[in-house]
Amino acid sequence: MTSRPEGPPMSPWASAEWSRRQTLLTNLRTVAGRAYPRVIGAIREPSWVFFEILLPFLTTSAFVFVYRALKAPPDYIGFVVLGGAMTAFWGNVIWSMASQLYWEKDQGNLELYFTAPMPIMAVILGMAAGGMFATSLRALVVLGAGAIVYGVVFSVSQWALLILVFLLTLAALYGLGMMLAGLFVLWGREAFHLTQVLQEPVYFLSGLNFPVGRLGLVGALAIGLMPLAVGLDAMRQLAFTGSANFGTPSPSAEALILTVMVVVFVGLARWLLATLERLARAEGRLSARWR
Amino acid sequence: MSVASTAGSGAPGAGSSPFDRGRAERPPSGGARRAFVAAAVLGWQTEANWADPLVFVLFSVAKPVASALMLVVMLDVVSGGAAGDYLGFVVVGSALWSFVQSGIAGLAWGVLDDRERYRMLKYLYVSPTDFAVVLLGRGVARIAIGAMGAVVVLAIGVVVLGLPFDPWRTDWPLLLVVMAAGLATVVAIGMLMAAVVLQTRQESWSYPDAVAGSLFLIVGAVFPLAVLPTPLQALGLLTPLTWWIAGVREALFPGALSAIGGPGSLFTALSGQAAPTSGQIVVSLLATGLAVTLVAAAIFRASERRAKDRGLIDLTTGS
Repeated sequence: MTSRPEGPPMSPWASAEWSRRQTLLTNLRTVAGRAYPRVIGAIREPSWVFFEILLPFLTTSAFVFVYRALKAPPDYIGFVVLGGAMTAFWGNVIWSMASQLYWEKDQGNLELYFTAPMPIMAVILGMAAGGMFATSLRALVVLGAGAIVYGVVFSVSQWALLILVFLLTLAALYGLGMMLAGLFVLWGREAFHLTQVLQEPVYFLSGLNFPVGRLGLVGALAIGLMPLAVGLDAMRQLAFTGSANFGTPSPSAEALILTVMVVVFVGLARWLLATLERLARAEGRLSARWR
Repeated sequence: MSVASTAGSGAPGAGSSPFDRGRAERPPSGGARRAFVAAAVLGWQTEANWADPLVFVLFSVAKPVASALMLVVMLDVVSGGAAGDYLGFVVVGSALWSFVQSGIAGLAWGVLDDRERYRMLKYLYVSPTDFAVVLLGRGVARIAIGAMGAVVVLAIGVVVLGLPFDPWRTDWPLLLVVMAAGLATVVAIGMLMAAVVLQTRQESWSYPDAVAGSLFLIVGAVFPLAVLPTPLQALGLLTPLTWWIAGVREALFPGALSAIGGPGSLFTALSGQAAPTSGQIVVSLLATGLAVTLVAAAIFRASERRAKDRGLIDLTTGS
């Protein structure tokens, strides 16, 4: 909430005119306020550790055993572990970012967001920040446990670039999530079904467990359009130096692609949210639940 | 029922239209069947009427097809296109997994949808039909969607990937028996998951996928059990889904690669056989399936009692 100035009551007009400081503080409080339940929620119900960390780790393990059954080179097991860690972020982006405004609409909260004196972008940024916290924990556990249990050896030659690529991948992924959140405001039940379709097909097209270059033209398109595909490929090249390359761009070029994606996705998210909010208001969809 | 005894002893308001104790004690015949059909139709409409049929089918098959293609590319990357028997092994396992995912999620999401989204769970619960019957009906719709995915994956396997499917060599009676028993088991596991989400709150939507994903590790769906550590192999042999998938593979492609036996497998070490026979598969499937079904039924009833006791049935949590 904004701080109320001391002194005699102001006119409504004057009250509505916020200083830059007031606006910035409100935005920051909104981000913190929306991130808070995600961080606390992750701690409050411990069952999520079992369902969100242990079981997904077992799923990742299944793909490790596929490669073991095929007697694949050890790097491929590393690819699966890295992919397993990154699925946590994609899952969070589509379930807890993209479709979140749709859930909020179903629960009757969406109209409260739109009537509160803060931009919806700040709300979504808060969701992203809170989601990243819990998801990073899950990804770290999958990565660490996978490396220990399956003896994955990372051979990193450019740590700085690897960290930069990881951060850019997260920014691009969550930027895409913000963009989809805008679309989901307008949609009804199709949003929920789209969320499901955005899982396995995206994993396949992103080359979750294999080098995406193996998909040829489809892989090249994925690298140009999908942050998970380009981020994973760059991280794979950086974390497993010397592993087979299937003709994908260098990690530096892929970092550049990710940077462009961040700018485009966040910019589009801003525009889409504003446009679709207007459309949703005009069509009366902001409070139309259970459609 | 306490209602019957109270009314029978002259409850207020019973004067003009006397309470019929018989109606309360003997539900109308076919009530459960009607409720099941109504729930199945409702479930189908909830799942399917949000888009036109073509879009709905495309959305429904995208997930299992993508999962299967991911495994096919993994095989191709490592084997360089010489996967042989293993290709059919992976395609059948992936196709059947579509049933498991949809079956488990169908029942659990039935509870979550009605509690968290539509807020109808309490009304369903106080209706005269057994809650389990309603849930089963809702789950059937999702299993039907899973069946579409499975058929499309198998069709792609045969038509595009060139799997040697020969209807004259297929063991149809075996296929019929293992499919019936296997699907019953999938429904039982779905009931188990519904019992879990009756108790849990935050992020419960992702639980069915997480459970299905962990079962994926131990049932020999996409790799032979022999590559797993022995305790996990033992766990796999106790899981009915392992025998179901093995049975369907044996029925569709007789003599194909077995997920259960083979060098280094616990089954071969214990039995001395290279692979289980069809009879052994059916008996093991029925025995383990029955055990899982009984356990699932007991846990579901216990969960129902606890949910009622703690007021969880109408407690919407915003998960």
